[in-house]
Amino acid sequence: MWDVLTWIDSTQFAETIRVSLWMFPALEIAHVAAIAIVLGSIARVDLRLAGLVSRDRSISEISHEMLPWTWISFGLATLFGVLLFLGQPVRYAEIAFFDVKMLLIALAGVNMLVFEYVTRKGVGRWDRAPIPPVQVRIAGGLSLAFWISVLVCGRLIGFV
Amino acid sequence: MLQELSDWLAQSQLNELFSDTTRLETWLIIPLSQSLHILGIAIVMIAVGMLNLQLLGFRVTRQSFAEHTAQWMPWIWIAMAILLVTGVVQTIAEPTREIMNYTFRIKMIMLAIVLAITVAYRRQVKKDPNYWSGERQGLAYSLASLSLVLWFGIVAAGRLVAYVGGIEA
Repeated sequence: MWDVLTWIDSTQFAETIRVSLWMFPALEIAHVAAIAIVLGSIARVDLRLAGLVSRDRSISEISHEMLPWTWISFGLATLFGVLLFLGQPVRYAEIAFFDVKMLLIALAGVNMLVFEYVTRKGVGRWDRAPIPPVQVRIAGGLSLAFWISVLVCGRLIGFV
Repeated sequence: MLQELSDWLAQSQLNELFSDTTRLETWLIIPLSQSLHILGIAIVMIAVGMLNLQLLGFRVTRQSFAEHTAQWMPWIWIAMAILLVTGVVQTIAEPTREIMNYTFRIKMIMLAIVLAITVAYRRQVKKDPNYWSGERQGLAYSLASLSLVLWFGIVAAGRLVAYVGGIEA
């Protein structure tokens, strides 16, 4: 694993991203803009799942409005994030906040899968409920907590 | 005048506190403030983005434009409050980086325009739910396009402050 990262570090591609004056800022802007859309859209769904906002609208309606934005921008954030990473893979891998951030994204993914395949089974019963059942509210709360932690870790990477 | 404000902030006690990187609790102030700032940007980006796309004719919601603006306005104001507080903290910590920087100044002007457009959407639609359709469709398209472009400009400028636009003292 480490050998692969060291090898990437030595490639012309990594060198190009590192030395270019505009590539890093440009990738960073695209990465941050995409993350803002991921966060804003997922937070709205999470807050609805938690029963805190838009209680008069169904959960599926809010999800339907927001989740396409989440997915598209998550794809873009990942793409730009990978490019940022490829510029200095060894350096990032050595930063604890980076590793924790990746772990938190994985946990957010697990939380989403559990919600999608287990919790959501009975959606018909609580889709319109102003305050959904407790397991649904927990899924929403966890998701929000994971994503905000991902954001904080991401920002901290820039400070070490 | 801005130069004096910047110098004054640079010598303030808060500046000393916010830029003290020798202790963990003060070192954390800026990254945490920046994280909250991005969270505020996230809320406004989704809100302003959805409203503008609806005006441009995309079916981003089943709500009417009046309902849609009513839904987002409180969030926009909450987010603006977060952005103001965290933005002020970051400016006090690094006054020269922000105030004495053209990119930052352009960002503030773009922000004022986007806010004015968004407030206008809400004000007019409150009086007349169909205000932005019919004969004003063209105006609505122009404002929505301008607002979207400026929004991305604001996010880009926020990051670019770190790289370009510094004014020589």
